[in-house]
Amino acid sequence: MITDRALPASGWEVDRQRWERLTALWMIVMLALFPILLGLGAFMRIVQSHLLPTLLPEWFYAVMTLHGLGMVGTWFVGGMAAVSYIVARYVRPRPVISHIAFWATLLGVVLLLVTTLLGKFGVGWYFLYPLPFYPAGVWPTWATWTFLLALAVLGVGWTIWAVDLLYAIAQRYSLRVALGWPYIRSGTGPEIPPALPIVTVSLISALSGFLAAVIILVLSVLEWAGTGFSNDALLMKNLIFFFGHVLVNITMYLGVVLVYELLPHYAQRPWKMSRLVAIAWNTVLFLVLFAYAHHLYMDFVQPQWLQVLGQVSSYFISVPAAVVTIFSTLVLVFGAPMQWTLSSLLLYLGVMGWAIGGVAAVIDSTIAVNVRFHNTLWVPAHFHTYYLMGVVLMLLGFAAHFGREASKQPENGRLAKVIVTLLVIGGYGFLMMFYLGGAQSVPRRYAVYPDEVQQGVTYAQVSLAFIALLTTGVLLYLWETGRRYWHALRAST
Amino acid sequence: MARSSRLNVMRLGALWATLLIGSSLWAFAGEESVKSLPNEGRYLYRPVPDIPLRDVEGRPLWLSSLWKERPVLLTLIFTRCSGICSPLLRSLKSAVEVVGGLGSDYHIVVLSFDPRDTLSDMRELADHLELSGKRGWIFAVAAPEDIARVVKATGFWFVREESSQQYDHPAMVIGIREGRLLRFLVGGTVAPVRLNEVVRELRGEFVPAYPLPRPGKVIFRCAQYDPESGRWRPDWGFLLLLLPGVLTLFGTVWIFHRGRFFRDEGGPGEGNTRVS
Amino acid sequence: MDPLSIFRLFVVIAAAVAAVFLGVGLSTRRQREYSPASGLRTAFFFSLSGILVTFLGVTLPRMPYPSDGEIPDRVIHVVGKQFAFAISENPIETDAQWEEIASFAPPVEIPAGRLIEFRVTSFDVNHGFSLYAPSGRLVAQTQAMPGYLNRLRVRLDEPGRYTILCLEFCGSAHHRMRGVIFVR
Repeated sequence: MITDRALPASGWEVDRQRWERLTALWMIVMLALFPILLGLGAFMRIVQSHLLPTLLPEWFYAVMTLHGLGMVGTWFVGGMAAVSYIVARYVRPRPVISHIAFWATLLGVVLLLVTTLLGKFGVGWYFLYPLPFYPAGVWPTWATWTFLLALAVLGVGWTIWAVDLLYAIAQRYSLRVALGWPYIRSGTGPEIPPALPIVTVSLISALSGFLAAVIILVLSVLEWAGTGFSNDALLMKNLIFFFGHVLVNITMYLGVVLVYELLPHYAQRPWKMSRLVAIAWNTVLFLVLFAYAHHLYMDFVQPQWLQVLGQVSSYFISVPAAVVTIFSTLVLVFGAPMQWTLSSLLLYLGVMGWAIGGVAAVIDSTIAVNVRFHNTLWVPAHFHTYYLMGVVLMLLGFAAHFGREASKQPENGRLAKVIVTLLVIGGYGFLMMFYLGGAQSVPRRYAVYPDEVQQGVTYAQVSLAFIALLTTGVLLYLWETGRRYWHALRAST
Repeated sequence: MARSSRLNVMRLGALWATLLIGSSLWAFAGEESVKSLPNEGRYLYRPVPDIPLRDVEGRPLWLSSLWKERPVLLTLIFTRCSGICSPLLRSLKSAVEVVGGLGSDYHIVVLSFDPRDTLSDMRELADHLELSGKRGWIFAVAAPEDIARVVKATGFWFVREESSQQYDHPAMVIGIREGRLLRFLVGGTVAPVRLNEVVRELRGEFVPAYPLPRPGKVIFRCAQYDPESGRWRPDWGFLLLLLPGVLTLFGTVWIFHRGRFFRDEGGPGEGNTRVS
Repeated sequence: MDPLSIFRLFVVIAAAVAAVFLGVGLSTRRQREYSPASGLRTAFFFSLSGILVTFLGVTLPRMPYPSDGEIPDRVIHVVGKQFAFAISENPIETDAQWEEIASFAPPVEIPAGRLIEFRVTSFDVNHGFSLYAPSGRLVAQTQAMPGYLNRLRVRLDEPGRYTILCLEFCGSAHHRMRGVIFVR
């Protein structure tokens, strides 16, 4: 079974138990943060429903900042943890780095909680320059510093984590193999799991995003520390959206890795590395660097060639996703002896959410359409589709799978179906209210809707019903999955 | 930087904004009066009345006949001017030589607002400036009531000073395209850079946005708008934007380069096959 | 490109995607031989690419960035600052002018159907200048970025009262930041 060459052992070979405990820890943190952040999101919709008329709007914006950053961070670390576990089967990342990232994440979370809930820091999750420096009397200076510190802590921890994982890959595979290049050339090559090029592409892209964040932080601190320099708003906007866009896309791809790895197990059919997978993901690596420009269409200051490049790359990045991953998912499942469990249902539906969110995203990435949709509710509509009904379902699917494997408890098929039904109906209903709002040009990020867009209030109120369904589904899921982790924990001690 | 001083600098900076967008407010010694200089923003895109002129040959022509052919740079002077008019015209002449396009892209109409000026006065002025018969330069007079209409529409003004028999007035060069005021320059010295901007707009080139001065030194911009060429030049900020991608590329290559010490070298292919 | 029609198109496509996923999901009731369906995939690839290229061709010429040649009939200057818009026919250059115009100036009136150029900037953070027609439709928008001037050219056909809502999150009173212009 093992070749006679001395190869670096994989993480699973060296200490599978340790990896399992580590992953369980991360999953527990992810599953603990999720309902809290969901609650914060629900709070936002409650405010927009006019149910808390005496609330100061700055609380809405502080919660909005925490909800956004929290969700982006939670699913990123969940994705990294899940993917690290999967990849540890083939390579050997260092568990101690995962611990460092864990503590950095916790510290960052605490700092964020302090700055938003105590400091009322409300700049939105992507903290568009120069807003952090214009509190309009709402948040104190220390809140801005705390925020910058939180970002620095998270950034350092996550960058180290990404570098370590990439280095682990590098210790076993050359760059061309890790990116699947032999497959592009000849359709075949060293046997690698399809997850490998996706993870490699994701990590490389993530690093570029984090580097952009470093530049933003350095420039911000230079200005904020009173050196007399000021920053160019356009440059900062380009950097911030590059960072943000790359980070959320990477999170999606990490979720997709889980689909590639786990779904074949449930479909009892293999998903092999192929030329298509290699071409698709190398294309993504290239295009993801330029697609961010679609966030700046309404900045007429941007050079026109960059605007066009943004639309072209945003359009064509949908092709590898649709033609390779999504199509292959469907082909894999079609007529397969599929084991429909909570896990496989969630993974499968996560791909569907990614597809639907992608359609909405491509629509909005059309410049001529963006004129009407930019910064309306269409924007949260499409990214919540990608997240809530996409990557979140994928990660919940992984967490359920992992919990079941760890606890060896049998599946409750009926409950699984109830959970999935509640999540889907609640989720898509909730999203529909955003899409409707966007179609009627209701602005996003409004604590209170003015008279001209009063339908925003109605949509928010209706969304509460769907949130109730969604929350029920989430709580049932947490119960069902949580008890498995509990079992596994008890069994291991 | 303290908020109030930032605001003060911002005020100053915003005042400078008009430099890039519109009129160049050049200070020049003594010639201008205390009366306010016209602000381009108020007159942008307003229609300029079509008036009948007579050129130095005595030929009657309508102002519109000129702007229908090609855009017009109009300047209002008087020949007995002992102040700004000659320097303005000389400056305009040399700026035009630098910028080019006269005759092909635009005409220049030198119009007297003084009712005393005759055609021979204008001819003399043209000779004096060595512009007689030069292609693209049209020296002309018009009736006082017509002058008054143009003056009103463009923000120009003139006030007679009895003591010196002179007129007090701003030095202006007005860019007109298709009968609408597009830009104007105010000041006795016409810098080629400024004239270039006006000529570009006369040609119909559109600049979608302008950077405005900011308080404090802006350390990195994506691009600098170069008014001379009318183009955006990439600045250090652009390199900064490319930096994440470039550094990642090098970083990745380096990581995989270091990793090779652990990979099995030689053999049929790196990343040896393995059954797990 | 009316937002409601686009929304309906999106719903149709999303429903189709959901139907496909449902169909494939249900297909697992009866086991079939695995087929890579490469022919279908190739067809899908070409039709998707074709659709995308078509939409690129149709939509890129309709970008809102004004091009050379046209002369607007009027220029309106707009400056955003926490938390109001100052809108004027005259340039707004100082904080004092902004304060006065934002607080006291009567709403600007512009002629219907004519080409208007809005020159938009900000004195502090990023704001979003947007024009909502009397019917509630979002007609056009551009960003108000500090240190830059964005030029938005638009024709407002519907007469009446247009609301300007801030469309870029700018702080605690972002939702209250607004302006008004009248189109006659």
